[in-house]
Amino acid sequence: MDIFVQQLVNSLSVASVTILIGIGITLIFGLAGIVNFAHGEFLMVGGMATWFMVGAGMNFFVALVLAGLLVGALGFAAERCLFRFTLNRPMNGFIMSIGLSVILQHAVIRVFNEFQKSITDPVGLVWTIGGVDIIAMRAIVVAVTAVIVAITYFGISRSRYGMALRASVSDRDTAELMGIPVRRYVTGVFIYGSLLAGIGGALMISLFPITPFTGSVIIIRGFAVSLIGGLGNVGGAVVGGLVLGLVDGLSAGYGYPEWTDAYSLVVMILILVLRPQGLLGGTLGPKAS
Amino acid sequence: MPMTDNSAGKTGAAPEGVRARDRLALLTADNAAVPLPTGVQAITAILLAVLLIALPWLGLGYRFLSIAITTLYTAIGLYGLGLQFGQAGIMSVGHAALMGVGAYASAILSVQLGLGFWTSLPFAMALSAIVGGVIGLPTLRVGGQHYIIITFCFCALFVIVLTNGGTFTGSATGLDVGSVTPLPGINFDKLSNNYYLVLAALFLALAATYLIGISRYGRTLRAIRENEQLARSVGINVDLHKLGVLMVSGLFAGLAGVLQLYYLRHISPTLFGAFPSLYLALMVMLGGARYLYGPLIGAVVVNFLPEVLNLDPVDSRIAYGVCLLLVILLLPGGVGAGIKNVYCAVRGGFEKQGGGTNGRA
Repeated sequence: MDIFVQQLVNSLSVASVTILIGIGITLIFGLAGIVNFAHGEFLMVGGMATWFMVGAGMNFFVALVLAGLLVGALGFAAERCLFRFTLNRPMNGFIMSIGLSVILQHAVIRVFNEFQKSITDPVGLVWTIGGVDIIAMRAIVVAVTAVIVAITYFGISRSRYGMALRASVSDRDTAELMGIPVRRYVTGVFIYGSLLAGIGGALMISLFPITPFTGSVIIIRGFAVSLIGGLGNVGGAVVGGLVLGLVDGLSAGYGYPEWTDAYSLVVMILILVLRPQGLLGGTLGPKAS
Repeated sequence: MPMTDNSAGKTGAAPEGVRARDRLALLTADNAAVPLPTGVQAITAILLAVLLIALPWLGLGYRFLSIAITTLYTAIGLYGLGLQFGQAGIMSVGHAALMGVGAYASAILSVQLGLGFWTSLPFAMALSAIVGGVIGLPTLRVGGQHYIIITFCFCALFVIVLTNGGTFTGSATGLDVGSVTPLPGINFDKLSNNYYLVLAALFLALAATYLIGISRYGRTLRAIRENEQLARSVGINVDLHKLGVLMVSGLFAGLAGVLQLYYLRHISPTLFGAFPSLYLALMVMLGGARYLYGPLIGAVVVNFLPEVLNLDPVDSRIAYGVCLLLVILLLPGGVGAGIKNVYCAVRGGFEKQGGGTNGRA
């Protein structure tokens, strides 16, 4: 039982990173209408930046914030220089994002190298609660994710900015007529999603080592999470992330670990075929194709 | 050179009563283009064929010929992808896995039953076509982007299944096969003969692509691409046509996969994973899927560019990504569209000088 609880806590921290990337994708894909395949690379860049800054003697939590800002700036640049021109042709944007992901991946290899990087546990505490050992850093990861989820959820569903954003998704022209600067909102969503990817990367490297190729693995899980929950649906991304994280974490402990990656793929294909709008419902993605 | 333009011109000139679906095809044809004379097309085709056939005799060396073979069998797979994306507008980023289905089917038939190249080829191609169709089933229900993600998932799943497949699929190390069963008097162990084998298959693929492009079937596909709802409303069976083109694309992929298998003699799961699939998608975008020679151009550029520039793998991939971004931003139709525009501009210029009608690019 103790082992089960420990597995559960560990799975929860893994799920947190998945949720962060899933929320980023669900917002960018579902609300801004951009299929950004380089989102996983954004996360990887965030992790690498954190590794570099911590290696240079910086406090982990300062590095986390800086990594988030750095990747947010990266997202801003990508949106302004690349995706802005393909808003009406999402397919071209998608292909371009593949190119961007190849560039980022190999640029990181060129700057550092292709070996895996890790940092020592920045907190280094272990709490024992009722006979269960909980690594403090993992709890912090879960807490940070919970705060971000709450902010995002209320921002999208309650604030007037979130309302304007949802209005511009459901009817772009009318929203523009009502004076909503739709383009600026697209940029804003893209930057916010990228920022989350940067923070996710920083949190990820505090849990496990990452390589320049981590992004291309995690991106699939991100898409799985956002599609399972329903595009543009923050709550859905949380549910999707939890389902996927728990399945993964528990299968690593109890099932067939060599098939771990296959589970998320099978779940995603089934959801896409049977319920394209996701479990909790969402937008069907960009309308123009 | 573009196969989309002339077909529309021919239909327009056809004297018999134009039916609704032909009218739709007319509506949807690329009407901004200047129809190219078939004479130019024929000359281009002959020049290209002569160049490709003469290639092994130019004394360019073993390495050059090896890359040429890789380019050609990749191009065969790309023609399938070009058909489904260029004609029907269905993009896939798991196409390498479809090639892998063909390659692995052939390799497993060879290892388990001892079938050779020629006998396993039809089975491998058929299996690839069927798998292509089955993966395509969801695309009838969900939109294009969802289909792309499904193909990517399929690709990742395929690699996991192969890696965990034990001795049947050879796990991570893969499978080995013998050489191509020699035809009377032709031994395919010789590199130039292997080249001609792949080249013959490429000519087949080119011919098939051209014929599909000018046929009623091709026009219907383009109509679906341009406006699916309109196509459906004039009575075109959209689902059947989409599945059909995906299966044809699978046939091409199977052929390419078997050729790849018998050229390399050894296959492993990583050859058919996410990266090769993305590369195929990039090549077809780079070359221009709507043009007859687009996929070939894409394959040549991508396979020979690192060699010509003498880049190490990391730099070549960065260069590749940058090229891709530039092509999408500046030439959304691919290099093929660029060449056509230049050609049309030059031709238009000549006609203006001669006092002819304006040929706009």
